[in-house]
Amino acid sequence: MADVHTATLQTAPAPARQGPAKARGLLLLGLAGIALIAFGPWIFGTYLLNILIKAFFFAIVAVTVDMLWGYTGYLTFGQSAFFGLGAYAAGLVFTHAGFSISTALAALGLAIAGTALVGALVGWLSFYRGASPFFATVISLVLPIVLTQLLLSGGAWTGSSSGLTGYETFDLPLEAWYWIAGTALALVALLGWLIVRSDAGRVLTAIRDNESRCTYLGIRTSQVKIILLSATAVVAGLAGFGYGSFSGVVAPELSGFVLGTEFIIWVALGGRGTLWGPLLGAVLISVVSAYLSSSMPFAWQLVLGCAFVFVIVLLPQGLVPLLLRPLHRSGPGAFEPALIERIARPQTGRPAAAPALVLQGVAKHYGHLKVLQGIDLAAEEGQLVGLIGPNGAGKTTLMRCMSDGAERTAGGVNLCGHDIRTLPPEECVRFGLGRKFQNANIFDTLTVAACLRIAGTILERPSLFTRSPTLALPSYALEVVRTTGLAGKLSAVAKDLSHGEQQALELAMVLALEPKVVLLDEPTAGLTKTERTQIGRILSSLALHHGLCCLLVEHDLDFVQEIATRIVVLHQGLIVMQGSFEEVVHSDLVKTIYAGSAHAAPEAA
Amino acid sequence: MVFLLDWLTTAAMLFIVTAGLMMIFGVMKIVNFAHGALLTLGGYASFVVTQLRLDPWLSWPLALLAGVVVGCVVEAVIVRPLYKRPLDAILATWGLGIVIGQLIVIAFGRGVQFVDAPLQGTWSIAGLPYSAYRLVLIPVALGLCALLTGLLNGTRFGVKTRAVIMNEELARGLGIHSGRIRFVTFALGAGIGTLAGALITPLSSVDPDMGLPWLVGAFMLVMVSGHSMLSLLVTCLVFGACQVLVSTYLSPVLGGLTIAVLAALMLRIRPQGFAHG
Repeated sequence: MADVHTATLQTAPAPARQGPAKARGLLLLGLAGIALIAFGPWIFGTYLLNILIKAFFFAIVAVTVDMLWGYTGYLTFGQSAFFGLGAYAAGLVFTHAGFSISTALAALGLAIAGTALVGALVGWLSFYRGASPFFATVISLVLPIVLTQLLLSGGAWTGSSSGLTGYETFDLPLEAWYWIAGTALALVALLGWLIVRSDAGRVLTAIRDNESRCTYLGIRTSQVKIILLSATAVVAGLAGFGYGSFSGVVAPELSGFVLGTEFIIWVALGGRGTLWGPLLGAVLISVVSAYLSSSMPFAWQLVLGCAFVFVIVLLPQGLVPLLLRPLHRSGPGAFEPALIERIARPQTGRPAAAPALVLQGVAKHYGHLKVLQGIDLAAEEGQLVGLIGPNGAGKTTLMRCMSDGAERTAGGVNLCGHDIRTLPPEECVRFGLGRKFQNANIFDTLTVAACLRIAGTILERPSLFTRSPTLALPSYALEVVRTTGLAGKLSAVAKDLSHGEQQALELAMVLALEPKVVLLDEPTAGLTKTERTQIGRILSSLALHHGLCCLLVEHDLDFVQEIATRIVVLHQGLIVMQGSFEEVVHSDLVKTIYAGSAHAAPEAA
Repeated sequence: MVFLLDWLTTAAMLFIVTAGLMMIFGVMKIVNFAHGALLTLGGYASFVVTQLRLDPWLSWPLALLAGVVVGCVVEAVIVRPLYKRPLDAILATWGLGIVIGQLIVIAFGRGVQFVDAPLQGTWSIAGLPYSAYRLVLIPVALGLCALLTGLLNGTRFGVKTRAVIMNEELARGLGIHSGRIRFVTFALGAGIGTLAGALITPLSSVDPDMGLPWLVGAFMLVMVSGHSMLSLLVTCLVFGACQVLVSTYLSPVLGGLTIAVLAALMLRIRPQGFAHG
């Protein structure tokens, strides 16, 4: 690694075709919003101001729902519970302890601490290894129902079904409340916007697109989601605190699941994953509801329900983006960072003599079916081990056992001197593992640059509020990106790439982790001859020049012959042979196992 | 003795209410959030029967029919386009629940109504008078379980359905019309849902939100029990016992929450579920 330097590959600014138009559109919208907040009290009557203040508090929650659902993919009916908790924090404290500056501060602290705690608890219940997204949704449904029941059974202390009224609260004129609520909404929206377009925000989208890939990039997705839920719970709780302080009334409906579903409806109609769509949806629908619910309550609910079903089935992006589509047609991809080389991190915290990968007696059973038995295997740095065997020999299962501690039935796996015990993939990755899957396993809706940046999340903590102008990759990952032409497509969306480019992208993502041990499951499947040669060259240089330990599952024996330093033959769950390519191919045992393909290989070579 | 009868009848009610949801979840892997609205619909089917002064027994077939018809329409119009987007399917069925609920409100008003039970009075069990209708629900639940198990395990339709549950791609490759299996399952599941609504209404009252309290408990029971009707029955017995115990000795409010909270905690600690352990 003598040639460590910082090379800027892509200095030309991103093609900014529709970029400014979109930015201008958003800027105009933002300015219009700020003007409405600033001059609202002189434009709207008292009744409308009242409704708008409440709508602003609701819209704050809608923004948090959009962050959770639209961006992170966690469909939640439970944000109303946090809103209700915040509102009741105000109502309970002001009713029972009276109103003063100190009790107000205590109530505020209670709202923050209570929602953060409940949010973390619900997160712990909802997000764990192997939990389905659907299960998390059901838990989010349980939360408001449990909370409402508790409030109803609280007797005089919580006011039961009629709630609490008539407590003393902040003595502020209506205009001040309007400005407070409007400013709070603008701040939350701005903060949300900064976060979702920052590098850290991309991680949320990555979790939504492909959570399993995230864990195999070392990202602790459950932890990320728990923290996010806790943070959004606090924001929703503060909105509830504001609502409870403003209205002077708190009722169990504020924490109820009907309100929770209304948030979902506003977000869906407004346009999930856009932040400002849900914001507009929440404000507009609450205002219209307030006017229509007195004159035609049931019909209005019916219209809303029908519109909701219609949008979910036919227009999953929601209505507002559809209406504003003529204004800006650009995709999200105008932003393109410059590629630079990342200096390889120093090797720390690992016993010098330990081999990169050691398997001892690894076995995997599905009931009585023994897929793997007694696998003993060791591989050093700088080795490229070709793992071959007929279909069903257990090759992919073996890779799974190496990368996820919960997979194997018996035996031990040691990665760079660390016993993986039953640790999940994200921890194995942190020991120095990288796994390339058989089918290109990438983040469909993200750009190439974003995919590559997320791959480096555990090495470089992404910023919560900004986008880095550079993208640093280790030299060998840069090589993959350059030779396969991905460097010129950094702002392309991953799902629009060709099959070969997607495979190369995943390989580059795995290498961006700077792994010590790389597991490659048929990296050349479905590639053209040229692409295969390119990938082959890169792989052999990984082992030879960069000292990585590579384990390669491959059916193409020509390819294996060209690059592997050692061959391991797996048959019916057992390692039947190890040795050089020549030894293995000319052994009678392997010819018997492989029948057709073994003698075909030398001919082709 | 009262506890035993309360327990068995509660478990029977839980099973009846959950069976339709289970049927749809097992085959289609989506949870029908309109289930609560379907229960309500079944309740109003019995209400119509009462209003028309027909024989109360007629409410059962009428509710079943209403549910099957609604299920057919909904599957074709709303659920089918969303197979590839399961979370959106949940939302769409939830929206549908709102629509059904509002239509009921417009047709019947918000008020609480009462229906005639097909069976009045009490039966004496070991010298103890106990509501006859509640007792009838025990054989009804057992019969429903036997019928659905028989349907899934003993008929050609059942074999095809299980093929679709295990591996839809393969089943389709073998010439099984998986779309039709889903259609029939959804219609049947919806029908059982409305039937359940008609079955439970004589024990309480009818109002537009009557399905909601059952909904979350039913979701949790389905999540915990896995895929077979028999394991659902066992789950209902276990959680029914917990619910009756908590309601009797602590408070009815907490009793109503028992299933949801216990099931959530249990799934967190034993994610593989109850049936597999």
